[in-house]
Amino acid sequence: MKEFLSEQVEKAIGCPMTRRRFLKGLLAAGVLASAPGGLLRPLDTEAAVAFEESYQVFRNACPRNCYDTCSLKTFVKDGIVRFIEGAPESTFTAGGSCVKGYTYPRRVYSPDRIKFPMKQEGRGSGNWKRISWDEAMETIAGKIIEIKEKDGSLLGLALSKYSGNFSITNYGVEGMMSSLGYTTRLVGTPCWPAGIDAQNYDMGDMWCNDPEDMVHSRYIILWGVNPAWCSIHSMKYIYEAQERGAKVVVIDPVFTQTAAKADMYWQVKTASDGALALGMARHLLDRGLVDRNWISDHSVGFPEFEAYLKEQITLEWASRESGVPAAQIARVAEEYAGAKPGAIWIGYGLQRHTNGGHTVRAIDALAAMTGNIGKVGGGARYGHLQTWGFNYHAMIMAPPEGSKGWVGKTGPMGEFDFAGQRDAQYSDRAININKTAQELLDADNPPVRMLWVSCKNPLSQDFDRNKMLKAFNKLEMVVVVDQFFTHTVDLADIVLPVTTLFEEWTVNASYWHYWVGINEQAIRPMYEAKSNIEIAAALSAAMNRLSPGSCTYPAQIDTKEWMVKEFNKGIYDLLGIESWEDLRKGPRKARMPQASWHDLRFKTPSGQYEFRSELCEEHGHKALPEFISPRPSQGPLRLLTPHCKFNIHSQFNNLDWMRDFNPEPFVYVHPDTARGKGIRDGDRVRVFNRLGEMRLKARLTNNVPRDVLMMYEAWFSGNEYNCQNLVDDEPADMGAYKTGAPGVAIHDQFADVARI
Amino acid sequence: MSGMELPLVVFTVLGQAAVGIVLLSAVRQWAGHPGSEGNLRAEWIVAGALLFLAFVASLFHLGHPTGAFRTLVHLRTSWLSREVLLFGIFGILILAVLWGVLRGAFSGVLTALAALAGVLALWVSAMAYAPPAFPALHNGLPIVFFLLTAVLVGSSGAVYFAPPEKEALLVRILGSALVVGLVLYLVVPWVWLSGGTVMRMTGEAYYASALYWIRLAVGFVLPILVLALSRRIPLWLPVVVLAGEVMGRILFFSHVVHSAVNLGTPY
Amino acid sequence: MKKQLGFFIDARRCIGCFTCAMACKNQYNQEPGVVWRTLYPLGEAVYPHRERAFYSLACNHCRRPTCLEVCPVNAYSKREKDGVVVHHQDKCIGCGNCIRSCPYGAPRYNPVLKKAEKCSLCWERLDAGLKPACVLSCPVEALQLLDVEAFTRVDAVQYPPGFPAFPKLDPSVRFVAPRQPIVFLREDL
Repeated sequence: MKEFLSEQVEKAIGCPMTRRRFLKGLLAAGVLASAPGGLLRPLDTEAAVAFEESYQVFRNACPRNCYDTCSLKTFVKDGIVRFIEGAPESTFTAGGSCVKGYTYPRRVYSPDRIKFPMKQEGRGSGNWKRISWDEAMETIAGKIIEIKEKDGSLLGLALSKYSGNFSITNYGVEGMMSSLGYTTRLVGTPCWPAGIDAQNYDMGDMWCNDPEDMVHSRYIILWGVNPAWCSIHSMKYIYEAQERGAKVVVIDPVFTQTAAKADMYWQVKTASDGALALGMARHLLDRGLVDRNWISDHSVGFPEFEAYLKEQITLEWASRESGVPAAQIARVAEEYAGAKPGAIWIGYGLQRHTNGGHTVRAIDALAAMTGNIGKVGGGARYGHLQTWGFNYHAMIMAPPEGSKGWVGKTGPMGEFDFAGQRDAQYSDRAININKTAQELLDADNPPVRMLWVSCKNPLSQDFDRNKMLKAFNKLEMVVVVDQFFTHTVDLADIVLPVTTLFEEWTVNASYWHYWVGINEQAIRPMYEAKSNIEIAAALSAAMNRLSPGSCTYPAQIDTKEWMVKEFNKGIYDLLGIESWEDLRKGPRKARMPQASWHDLRFKTPSGQYEFRSELCEEHGHKALPEFISPRPSQGPLRLLTPHCKFNIHSQFNNLDWMRDFNPEPFVYVHPDTARGKGIRDGDRVRVFNRLGEMRLKARLTNNVPRDVLMMYEAWFSGNEYNCQNLVDDEPADMGAYKTGAPGVAIHDQFADVARI
Repeated sequence: MSGMELPLVVFTVLGQAAVGIVLLSAVRQWAGHPGSEGNLRAEWIVAGALLFLAFVASLFHLGHPTGAFRTLVHLRTSWLSREVLLFGIFGILILAVLWGVLRGAFSGVLTALAALAGVLALWVSAMAYAPPAFPALHNGLPIVFFLLTAVLVGSSGAVYFAPPEKEALLVRILGSALVVGLVLYLVVPWVWLSGGTVMRMTGEAYYASALYWIRLAVGFVLPILVLALSRRIPLWLPVVVLAGEVMGRILFFSHVVHSAVNLGTPY
Repeated sequence: MKKQLGFFIDARRCIGCFTCAMACKNQYNQEPGVVWRTLYPLGEAVYPHRERAFYSLACNHCRRPTCLEVCPVNAYSKREKDGVVVHHQDKCIGCGNCIRSCPYGAPRYNPVLKKAEKCSLCWERLDAGLKPACVLSCPVEALQLLDVEAFTRVDAVQYPPGFPAFPKLDPSVRFVAPRQPIVFLREDL
């Protein structure tokens, strides 16, 4: 191993006296001299420049699945990442990253990092043996060719990939699959599909305002979203709005950190938000507080919606369904309608329900009928992909000649599929990512024989873990690309070490703010790590050695070149730059008006906002944003498994630095519920339902209502904690239209708790 | 609970034992004919040895024992620096007295000075163990605890060195100190219970600790009973008293609560 | 009066995101388990919603620092120009006296180096005209650098509930209290 590491890198991994080295570095740069006895002589203004000049500074962009997609500055000395800062040029990042981002210097050099390709002799045994890249690729290529010979196609090879790394060149993983032939793709997204469809039915696209314009909002409803944990850089705009007099209302089943910062918090019955929105809408009708001009100029279907509200919805009913007092519903509705502009931020947790899509449509309707769409400071904000118009050069690969595949509907698409329609006789086989376990078990003619996992951790993030174990048992080969020995890697046959953001060139956009940042390669890849596209190249080389022409992926990749190939004139114009090199000076903000739908040219079939959407009805839903009853209770208590500030899904909480602040998981229980079961604060308990069980410590708090158990989804390495033991794959209503598969009702889960 | 800090337990108890031995030796000299009171040679060698062991134990407490010699540089404000100095002076005076004793020339003046230095060392040491971070001890209690240790171990241990006719004096001193100590250690945690949050936590920790009650029984009740019933100090009694002081000192270091544990809740 | 730097902790703006705590680790790479800055959740007696309000604390750079006073080898100094209390780790012998003395728990024991260490207000960055790592990192400006002599916020206090008063030490920190929203709990429960 030593031949891979310079002495300095080895020291960095061991982390001895880094602070002393830091100081010595400054001394060496002549920045300061400390006299014995400690008093430092004062310095002049050149010191700041000298400080930075003593490091090599690189631009990076955090590629995680996060609203904030921070632009970073990375300070490197002697080929080692010393520390990072947030890029000051981005008004959104504004100089700071987050608790997760600041662990990057440790993540890169973590002693737990997978160093070289390894094979596991006996899946799940922990009996890992190091192998060379050549051997790994030969083994994998050999299996792929075997599948092709057996089935006549590569439909037996499936890809599980999603949001572990959102940088643009990482779509090369999909490209790799395409370059091998027609394969099986786990399609869809667990994240936000129902809401995406809803916004598409209503407006023709998912397109949110620039979050930096929230300072202009006179009213902000944070609905099922927790930016104080999940979009910390957005909070400053919300605070600014408050200082300017805006009222902030948080609607959430639990008292979140964001709720603590609001002016008003509504504890709402989970999954009843659609009723709440419709109740508000009915009240606005009764009070004559709808924007009739906007409605008549820019929408269709309002008369039908109005009739529905008058016939089926009352304020009192909405109050009973949601648990929110009727007087409050009325008051906030009136305040919101009168605020002009009022913003609603629709969270992703909100739509992780069997009725999630309809709920989002109801909230969209509220924004539309009050004339808040298309206005700075207004909007029904969810997300956007306006700044993602890259070439996807890494992704768009042709299959080898003579490839056979799925005969049926055209190939899979996700919400990030920008490749456009393909006219092919064959296509990939699309199976539902939100039912990964079931689909892997059910797939036949041919069955899924081999699974490639990258930027994903199915055992931690997909549902019904016991079912997933059965599904994995069925697989003949599992290849996982990762940095750490995750729960998925534990069940792999081969693991391939992948680079961190500091070890490759790529480019990143955000699905929330309007900034784009380049990601420079700051250091050499650690150990034998390769980036995903380099892995694709290596696989291609091995494939073509064994069977010439079996893979069209180029066998030589330079990540920098491939990053450059992603840029096009559209991106340059959008960012107001001449060349990608301009991004090396700092991130750039897209030159777009702050208000989405500012031109009020909706992309629906009618070109207007559709309160009544025929397309939605054609797809098997209600034409109007009607109330759909939530999933019936499956157990005595609702189980919520939302996101935690200390991790992005299964990333970051495995690091020792993070464990200093968040050492172990808890289940949060209301004190009354706990008392009834003899559970005291800190007791070890078991949470259980028909799917499985989990044992962990309880924390008592009235942040959760009496009928809710809450535990955060996370991976603590060395701890068996995995909330997927308890979460099933019940689908959400919408998602198939724009993302290829329905979403999943992650928060419509139920369980019980007992003392151990 | 903090760690037991065994090196500090040993250092403080043995150091205070040395002071106690010296103190009682001085007291006996004044109560009788100077130079004729018992086995002075053994007494002062033991005192010196205890102090030396205490010093060695203290080194185990340091991350970098070789830096111990630099601990004298901050006399201006650091009680710890002053403790090192005073114990150093105390040690030198013990050696001076011992040198005289070994040559058969006992100096009453040096003995008195050594006793004085010992008591001053105790005081300075107590100040070093009464920092703001431990509300229960940020007061005059450490000096009382340390003085008590010295008198208890010194007056019981003196039985190994004093002539038999002095035993009654020792029994009186030891007996008084034991009663004072028992009352003190019973009442102090009670007083702590009426203080702020951290002081209260300390009181609760003491009363909830088995070691606390065992220590009271072994270190006070048992010796009091022995003295009351026999009016003698059996040769095994100083060992029991010392054990009681060690237990008490373990409590002192491990059960006294640090102010920072309560950050975020009312003080 | 001479400049005295310290921290302004706005618990009203603070969202307890731990960015500042990790920014410090990012800057100095402390040993696992050794933490110079951390967030203390306010107990329910101070803020009734559990783990929803915090004080971010590191070293308070007291006007009369007890760590400096008690150190037997004079391994602390207080800078004339700005009152920053600096620990000189090369002189430290790991006696732990500062750790036992500071009521705010600022100095920590480094078990690998066997010495104490603590926040030194990023003096290297200050001298280069840069903000301390934690202050720079805060996404909502809840943690700010202040000069006690020039601090003018009339709504700030030195000893809020949950932060012990030691006027003899005179910590250079000021706090603004967290607020609560108006809460409407479910009527169906």
